[in-house]
Amino acid sequence: MPPRYGNLNTADWAKAAATINGYKTEPWLLKGAQILSINIEIDDDPADNLIPRTMHPSIPSYAIFNVTHYPESPAGAFSIAEVRIAGRTGVRPRGFVLRSFCDSEDARRELGARWGFPVAPAEVKIDLRHDRIVAHVIADGRSALDCELVDRDVIAGNDIQYIASMHLARNKEDGKLVLVQVDPEFVFAKAERGKPRILHLDNNAWGAGDNLRLGNPISATFTVADVTMPKIRYICNPDVPAMQGTTKVAA
Amino acid sequence: MKFGLFYEISVPRPWGRETEKTVYDNCLEQVALADTLGFDQVWAVEHHFLEEYSHCPAPELFLTACAMKTKKMRVGHGIVVCVPEFNHPIKIAERTAVLDILSGGRLEVGTGRSATWTELGGFRASPDETKKTWDEFVHCLPNMWTQERYSYQGRSWSMPQRTIVPKPYQKPHPPLWVAVTSPGTEVDAAERGMGSLGLTFGGFAEQDEKVKRYRKIIRNCTPVGKFVNENVSTVNFLYCHEDDAEGVKIGKRMTNTFNYLASQLLAAREAYPSKSYPSLGLLPALRQDASGPGDASGAPEGIAIGNPARLVRELKKWEACGVDRVNFLLNALESIPQEKVLDSLRIFAKEVMPHFQGASDSAAAAGGR
Repeated sequence: MPPRYGNLNTADWAKAAATINGYKTEPWLLKGAQILSINIEIDDDPADNLIPRTMHPSIPSYAIFNVTHYPESPAGAFSIAEVRIAGRTGVRPRGFVLRSFCDSEDARRELGARWGFPVAPAEVKIDLRHDRIVAHVIADGRSALDCELVDRDVIAGNDIQYIASMHLARNKEDGKLVLVQVDPEFVFAKAERGKPRILHLDNNAWGAGDNLRLGNPISATFTVADVTMPKIRYICNPDVPAMQGTTKVAA
Repeated sequence: MKFGLFYEISVPRPWGRETEKTVYDNCLEQVALADTLGFDQVWAVEHHFLEEYSHCPAPELFLTACAMKTKKMRVGHGIVVCVPEFNHPIKIAERTAVLDILSGGRLEVGTGRSATWTELGGFRASPDETKKTWDEFVHCLPNMWTQERYSYQGRSWSMPQRTIVPKPYQKPHPPLWVAVTSPGTEVDAAERGMGSLGLTFGGFAEQDEKVKRYRKIIRNCTPVGKFVNENVSTVNFLYCHEDDAEGVKIGKRMTNTFNYLASQLLAAREAYPSKSYPSLGLLPALRQDASGPGDASGAPEGIAIGNPARLVRELKKWEACGVDRVNFLLNALESIPQEKVLDSLRIFAKEVMPHFQGASDSAAAAGGR
């Protein structure tokens, strides 16, 4: 077995990439976010086709399904769903965002231009029930994702560890394709853990084709948190290992 | 202070038919040499599924081979996973007793619970349960080793009355240790009268505080075993070379390789939030401290890489913190050629060990002076 690293064809993948307006993004404080996050193991070898060469897959590979409702933001209220593939840039855990869907045009424009979110329009809903948290994503009139956390159980916010994201984006200033590290800060007001369930997943909606094969369920969490969308601090060349191709762009 | 070896047994890709055998052979050659040089002990981990990082799922077999190739070195489970999905407690009692007999009473038994989802998920073990099952297991083991007839009705396991045989060669039983990774686990060790088997480097200040807390609490412990094993052990890297710059350079290659490998694994806390895992465990702490701030040479503080003078200086600081034993990782992914590893051991035994009471006695007896 040869050494492992991501095999994503970034040139092809860039067709869905956002254009980012440089790296001088100012932070956004987003209060009272409701975050459903589900971790599921995925088959290792095909998963390597879903992360760029910058990243080494985590052992084992796993996918993170995030659905978040932000009741307030500079772009108004919005909900966003993401599918991320966990990996490592150098020695740091990171999630490569395959696609994201958002229900607000204003938010989509800002998220893409400020942080390089690869975001498309969709209906995104989180339903809070006493026995479960349910999320639906409907894009182009079809379900892209139905998932839920069941058997809600209260845990401490400091037990939660969300990993930072990597967005493949094109920089408007120089036209270069880069991986943008987006590492929000969270202040938790509430945290719960439960069993994860993916009820429906349209792989093609997330650009994953046959490479995203769900395996062992790990965990699901639901949190209410104040989220600070950060300044951009690091970018990576998507086609070389992170140890060789990481650039610091802000303190 | 005594010195030992600590094996993860990391195997580099690409994996050919001979790759794993070569790595195991190299480890055994190092152990055989270390025995003649006066090293006191050899420990081996129990890890599963940690590709490249550790191909050591059956430490009792490796340690048996070590025991057969050595005369004086003690052999240590570092650690045996006390989670029922991994190891049934009866099997632990039996296997360790056999290894103690075969080694002529040289066994040390480290206990722990695994820190990665990679392993816990692989065995479908719940991270919420591991601290509880570890505690239950360590209270059972000494009785299983020492009582002629044994029965048990507990929370995670039970058995009707049977005679568990054989019994350990050491009487009343081998020393018991706890893997200390998460903050506060040294308290668990002390309260139970067990040795503190540190698997993180930590800074000197942190270590000093941990050791003081351990020594204070163990005075009033309720031992799980038939005796109190008051000892503090830590793990470190070792690459010793006459030329300091060369030693640091090659040693850092090893530490960086180890850090990179460790970071690819999935820590329990990252995947499965649980109060049972308040820190990321062994791996990140090893990474952070092995690549932390050091002096102008680039050698991180407290890490045993460089020339003999540097190593004496750094290890004296650990000794001043109250550390009784230091166990060394010698390689990572075979990034250091075997001959250089063996030379490093020889230089260490000749030029570093004599500066330490206890270790120097062993080295002198072995002709290391």
